Amino acid sequence: MHLRIYRYDPDSGSAPTMQDYTVEPEAGDRKLLDLLVRVKSVDDSLSFRRSCREGICGSDGMNINGRNGLACLTPIDGLAEPVTIRPLPGLPVVRDLIVDMTQFFTHYSAIKPYLIEKGPPPERERLQTPVDREKLDGLYECILCACCSTFCPSFWWNPDKFLGPAALLQAYRFIVDSRDGATAERLDYLDDVYRLFRCRSIMNCTEVCPKGLSPSHAIEQIRQALLSRSL
Amino acid sequence: MRVFSGQVPWLLQRLTALFLIAALLVIFIALLFGVLPDYASWRAFVTSSHGATIVFVSYLAVCTHAWIGVRDVLLDYVKPLPLRLLLLMAISVLLAATAIRLLLVLGAALFV
Amino acid sequence: MHKHATSRPRFLNLLQMRYPVGAIVSIGHRLSGLLLIAALPALVIGLEWSLRSEADFRQMCEVLWSPWARGALVLMIWALAHHVAAGVRHLLMDAGVGSRLPRARASARLAIVFAVLCALAAAAGWRP
Repeated sequence: MHLRIYRYDPDSGSAPTMQDYTVEPEAGDRKLLDLLVRVKSVDDSLSFRRSCREGICGSDGMNINGRNGLACLTPIDGLAEPVTIRPLPGLPVVRDLIVDMTQFFTHYSAIKPYLIEKGPPPERERLQTPVDREKLDGLYECILCACCSTFCPSFWWNPDKFLGPAALLQAYRFIVDSRDGATAERLDYLDDVYRLFRCRSIMNCTEVCPKGLSPSHAIEQIRQALLSRSL
Repeated sequence: MRVFSGQVPWLLQRLTALFLIAALLVIFIALLFGVLPDYASWRAFVTSSHGATIVFVSYLAVCTHAWIGVRDVLLDYVKPLPLRLLLLMAISVLLAATAIRLLLVLGAALFV
Repeated sequence: MHKHATSRPRFLNLLQMRYPVGAIVSIGHRLSGLLLIAALPALVIGLEWSLRSEADFRQMCEVLWSPWARGALVLMIWALAHHVAAGVRHLLMDAGVGSRLPRARASARLAIVFAVLCALAAAAGWRP
């Protein structure tokens, strides 16, 4: 198979280039990550992140034929050749397919991704009804791979000020959590031209989420929560 | 509701949109039934006090909607603050000028 | 490390992305909105002209439907139809209607087709 991969070596001083590779899938190779590992066995200067190889760790997000996705969840079958692989868009490239995720995680920590106490801590664990627990489905599964945020045009234009779909999905995950005591503060923080309202409901996030989640829907729910609080 | 929040313009954008969709529907139906396209009925509509009010209020809705839309475009694509403010100012002047012109035209037609 | 932090490249070539249909509708929404704003002065001047006299009104209608104005008119009708269709889609999605991906894709396609059909109808000379 013909792969065309974005190469950048910070020590070379030269601009990024595209490099062609031809690899033959072997028996058992199913996903794009399998091919990348074969390339790496031929050319060990190629750098990319990967760990669990099954869509749990969220390390191998990249732009594959113009769309973001996880290499380990992208089937080899059906990929148009040459398979063009570039780093996640918009983030500074550290080397080859590895991007600097600092900005992404800054936004993630800004939404305070942890439960905030309502009052004194309970004697035992905080109980939650099955109905309340169900509200977290479709939210807690996010693996923070950044495929959504780095495929969002609003994030491309304002990566420093717009929180991006991943952080907003997480923000909503704590807004709906019945055990959380800081809903009002969370909504106040999000009610901002940049942080939340740069979203134009383009839905690129939902299109590319490798876990099948819908950040655009979460953002819609945050807007509704803000609206019903105001009215 | 906080006045300077992200939500207010967002909401205004949607309220003006709803109003303008209703207005467009009315115009389209009027055109479909041949109510408007002759001079006498057109003039009679625009020069009636309620007709002029509808036209002007609709235009204010257009201006509000347009201003918020342009602001969003500038927030996305134009980074240098002076240039952004200059363009926002330019579009504000353009919208205000056309609105004032419309007001004068309607006023003249109404009272002549 | 800091040496690289400032000089690091970013991949953001807009022509090398494969856009979902929702993104196409969205950029069309933006483009059509700007076109409509550009037409506002002409709209006000046209209204002024149409109220002057019966002859002026007729003349304006004629100019509006003349071949040389047809191009601009067709473009504006596309812009209006696309802007309204994409806007209705957003309003419905804000209300929770059709905001799941399959529906959102379908409505995006519908908005594009609707606007193009409106423009074609205007180009063919159809008047409501």
